[in-house]
Amino acid sequence: MSEVLRKEVVYLITAIVALTMIVDYFFGIQQLTDAASMIRTWAVVISAMALALGTVNLMRSHGNIVRKRVPGRWFYSGVLIFFFVLTTLLGLLNINDPSSNPIYKWLFDYPYTSLGQTLYAITGFYIASAAYRAFRARNIDAALLLIAGIFVLLKNAPIGEVIWSQLPVIGGWFNDIGQVPAMRTFLITAAFGLLTYGFRTLIGRERGFYGEVGGGA
Amino acid sequence: MDKKKGKGKKMAIIISGRVTAFIFLVTCLVLFYIFMYMAKRGWKVSIRTFPAVAAIPEAIGRAAEMGKPIYYSTGYAMETLSNPDQGPQTLAGISILGYVTKLAARSGVKIYYYTCIPDSLPLVEETMRNAYLEEGKPEDFDPDVIRFLSGQSPYLTATLGFMQRERPAANIFMGGFYYEAVVMGEAGNTIGAMQISGTANTHQMPFFIATCDYAMISEELYAASAAIAQNPDILGTIKGEDIMKLVILALIGIGFIISFTGTTFLIDLLRM
Repeated sequence: MSEVLRKEVVYLITAIVALTMIVDYFFGIQQLTDAASMIRTWAVVISAMALALGTVNLMRSHGNIVRKRVPGRWFYSGVLIFFFVLTTLLGLLNINDPSSNPIYKWLFDYPYTSLGQTLYAITGFYIASAAYRAFRARNIDAALLLIAGIFVLLKNAPIGEVIWSQLPVIGGWFNDIGQVPAMRTFLITAAFGLLTYGFRTLIGRERGFYGEVGGGA
Repeated sequence: MDKKKGKGKKMAIIISGRVTAFIFLVTCLVLFYIFMYMAKRGWKVSIRTFPAVAAIPEAIGRAAEMGKPIYYSTGYAMETLSNPDQGPQTLAGISILGYVTKLAARSGVKIYYYTCIPDSLPLVEETMRNAYLEEGKPEDFDPDVIRFLSGQSPYLTATLGFMQRERPAANIFMGGFYYEAVVMGEAGNTIGAMQISGTANTHQMPFFIATCDYAMISEELYAASAAIAQNPDILGTIKGEDIMKLVILALIGIGFIISFTGTTFLIDLLRM
């Protein structure tokens, strides 16, 4: 099959799948609903297969680091490979219900979940640092942002109410009313962007993610 | 069951509550097609320059001068392309990746792509490989620059480690980002990297604006590939989008005015 034909077939399949999903959303046709449901199942299966690709990528990348004994890194890659193999084997031992294996459950509940939560928690410090940069009153816009930010900050911090009982009310206005129209504008424009992008994909004119690089370069 | 099937065969019925949405969708698609057709026939369509897109060659140039790599990511995006909100953002990010890779290949700059979305891997590899091929340097493409990490936190941790180790000259974030946006943006700032971003996730836009040198917000992410390609018929669809935005603006204005009269006509119409 020629390269051109191969690509055209991909665009055609994309268009058929997209049309099926759109028509299914609007029309109550049982046959189409069944077809759309089947396509969704296929998508789940394909995603699961893609996870295998991810595994190959992960093992290849970290395997190379261990093989080349990259200074300062090979040990950590070795730990990753060891725990990957261990977790997979433990999961396979209780293939029907891996969480019934106590070691498997412990690995997930304690090291993995707690490390994830820790990383999420330190986001607060990054936000504080980003806020410091954003809240510098360099011009009138930044000054307005700073004022609004202070009100919202004092609404959330208990000290705000202690200073003045109306501070949380003002902060609440910014939070619940003031910012809503702007955010909705972004949501509406994003929806239109998505619609246009979807249309271009549907008719095969948006080909960047198929491996075709834009002509502007 | 039979009754349902018979009904479907006999005539297609639009599900209640989706009639207006259907009419709106069809109007949009027809309008996009008309503008695309007009642009193809020679009608000149131009869109404004996106500073973030214009800054990409500068970022590549900086990396070439410093002899350092570029970091590229399409975000957490719920770890799948199947998510209706996040998947298209990842695809738009991959479209821009092709352009970035092409420029990087031309300048001999190494570009690293980190992801936790397994379904995106084949698309990314194909896109990057083709970019090198189009630059006549297929032998320079190294699949090891594409790094997959399973899960949001491992992906974020690996990115932070990469930034500290390799000190990339530029970080480009394009796609559906979540809490990793602020962490990556701040980490990139700490190492002094030039940062360009784009996302349609409203909850992460402020973080990118605060931490990056250039940020594309909302639909700009989707329009960027059209701005890069400068293909007249693709630009035509953007023009159609602008017209529909005006229609929505008019509807909001009308709705605001008639709300004072107490009539629910417009709301009923939209809910039809």
